[in-house]
Amino acid sequence: MTTFSVRTLFAVVVATASLYGAAPALADDFPSNSARAGLYSVFFHVKADDLTGPYVPHGANIDANNVETLYLAYVRSLSPNFDVELTLGYPPLQKTVGKGPATLGSVPYNGQVIATARWLAPTVLFEYVFFDQNSKWRPYIGVGVNYTNFYDRNSTAQGNAASGGPTKLSLTASVGPAGTVGVGYHIANNWHMYASYSISKVSTDLTAETAGVIRTSHINFGPQALVVSLGYSF
Amino acid sequence: MFKLVTPLTLILAATLLYACGGSSSQTAMIATSTAHGTLAVNPPFRIASLDAATFQAELAATSSGAQLLQITGKPSCGVDFYYLKFWTVGGAAETTQSSGALMVPTGAAPACSGLRPIVLYAHGTNTDKALNIADITNTSNTEGVLIAAMFAAQGFIVVAPNYAGYDISTLGYHPFLNAEQQSGEMIDILTAARTALPKTQSAATSDGGKLFVTGYSEGGHVAMATQRALEASGAVITAAAPMSGPYALEAFGDAIFFGSVNIGSTVFAPLLSTSYQKAYGNIYGTPADLYSATYVSGIETLLPSFTPIDKIFSTGLLPQTAAFDSTTPGSPPLSAELAALLLVPTDPHYPLPASPLTPLFAAGFGSPNLVNNSYRVSYALDAASNPDGAIPLPPLRAGVPLAATVPTQPLRQALYKNDLRNGAWKPNSPTLLCGGGSDPTVFFPVNTGVMATFWSPLVAAGLITVLDVSGTPAGPFAATQTGFQASQAAQLAYYESPAGGGLSPAAAQLLLIEGYHGAVAPFCAAAARAFFSVL
Repeated sequence: MTTFSVRTLFAVVVATASLYGAAPALADDFPSNSARAGLYSVFFHVKADDLTGPYVPHGANIDANNVETLYLAYVRSLSPNFDVELTLGYPPLQKTVGKGPATLGSVPYNGQVIATARWLAPTVLFEYVFFDQNSKWRPYIGVGVNYTNFYDRNSTAQGNAASGGPTKLSLTASVGPAGTVGVGYHIANNWHMYASYSISKVSTDLTAETAGVIRTSHINFGPQALVVSLGYSF
Repeated sequence: MFKLVTPLTLILAATLLYACGGSSSQTAMIATSTAHGTLAVNPPFRIASLDAATFQAELAATSSGAQLLQITGKPSCGVDFYYLKFWTVGGAAETTQSSGALMVPTGAAPACSGLRPIVLYAHGTNTDKALNIADITNTSNTEGVLIAAMFAAQGFIVVAPNYAGYDISTLGYHPFLNAEQQSGEMIDILTAARTALPKTQSAATSDGGKLFVTGYSEGGHVAMATQRALEASGAVITAAAPMSGPYALEAFGDAIFFGSVNIGSTVFAPLLSTSYQKAYGNIYGTPADLYSATYVSGIETLLPSFTPIDKIFSTGLLPQTAAFDSTTPGSPPLSAELAALLLVPTDPHYPLPASPLTPLFAAGFGSPNLVNNSYRVSYALDAASNPDGAIPLPPLRAGVPLAATVPTQPLRQALYKNDLRNGAWKPNSPTLLCGGGSDPTVFFPVNTGVMATFWSPLVAAGLITVLDVSGTPAGPFAATQTGFQASQAAQLAYYESPAGGGLSPAAAQLLLIEGYHGAVAPFCAAAARAFFSVL
């Protein structure tokens, strides 16, 4: 699954590169590259199936805490009104919390941080940028593809207690559509400010293994992101 | 092209690096050894963790739980329920994995953590192949609840196997009443539990060194066999309390074949014959030698089963009570005395005096029935020519010994081998033999009574304590006897009340006696706990 997903992304990147190769030349006085950095606030709207497997009480579910992290992006102008953006947030420590029964037996569950993981979610976006390149404000919209990979997956002590022992977690990588709306503001020279709102579809199959006992769930994270960033064109 | 591809490639490379280098937390270790006594998964899986208040609340939420609480008392400790998987040996020396429970008391009270005694418990006969006595979340796991409330919630570490042939075991049968296998499995799970204890999430509780062995019904036999095996190995047992077990199997088998057909005989028969056929290979040439044509198909793999026993009865795979043919065997020619012993117990010529259990014994006869007359006669001839010291007819031989020589009839030979009088073993550790004097499933006089009589001249006075919960209340267990008898009286009154069906006194009494064996269990367990608590 992971290999396939990476290949898929690679194909997108190659297509992007080909598109660049076929693109008309840009005006010489506007740089065609931009690097951006800023604040990446991710809000999850999790919809997960109840956990299934042995010894799981009815209604045991999970949720994800919102996170903030460093936003990093590279943007290439393909034409005066078309950009391609590759977004990459610094992998945050994502906390997963129990949702459902207050306790499993006598072990606290609802609202407890039961697992942590880091995710890396590169996203390729093709954006249409309104107005001409001399405009102070330039709104934009974009669509693209998100790839999310989870790593450093750890069940917390509380998660181990709820699960019945030391627990190994696996989360399949996700490939899904992404969309964004935003606006750029030309500060001066090569510097711009940007603000954007993005959504993407990130889903994964969770498998938790505790001493040979397997529990599973399918999770749709439903992430929505607000980004405020500073960009430098070159 | 170069300027674009380079940063994307770098990011892709980083993605791949993260994907390949991702790690996750460690889980349990899987043992590579399959040597018996090896803990297969360490640390074991904890099915549930209940503090004392939660456990009490969950018990009190059901009527049966509330009744149990009256016998066990309120939980003093929380209990962590672990699911043990371990390696053991089957009835034909097969290497096999088995499973069971490790129940660990928890909590701040001194009696709930630190060095605690171990109760090694053997459960009673269960037809449910999916039985997992560790699964406290399963409402049908009544015996698991009983031992948790009785022992673990009062500060005892409880170790109990599910037995080979159940749950995860891939053994295609259960080594029922095979003393060597079942005692070996008990010792194996004890070894595995001692390996697991320091690794559990309840490691504040540890083995204090005291070891108590107990079990009920089939598990009573297992417990006594385990006591014998542990003592033979030189292990120190603090005390044992086998309860309502078929210890004197040869005598018990003789009583049944001579017409005192116990409740449950049609369930016990296929479990027993398959167990001994697998172990010894000579119980029959084909199952049709033993079982009637009506029931022989699939009999060797019938029990334990994922199919509920009521459905097994209702679909005609087993008769509910008719173990023997209601038509008395006519050949080969038998002595008048033996022919009379094979009659239905309600027949006027049946030689044993009528008792309250006679109608139940008679229900063990019918048509169609389970056991062929020819097999019954072969057993009876062996029993008559080489009698057990306790059966069939008075006078009993002094000391109620086994048959004078090894029986020749294969099933009786197997019972002789697994009869716990075999080898003239006697306990070295304090032993409580608890049961109910009117038990229609495992006869008290033929088993508990015989063992007590057999051991009486062999052990120091006071080492063996016999408790009949139906007896006149007296001595240190008077409260247990009073409690049981009050419980029986209340149940009888309930059956006669409109809410309980408004049964006639006779019908109510019959229903009471049918449930007697199960009703004794919590009271004997309470007696065992009291017995252990002062040692």
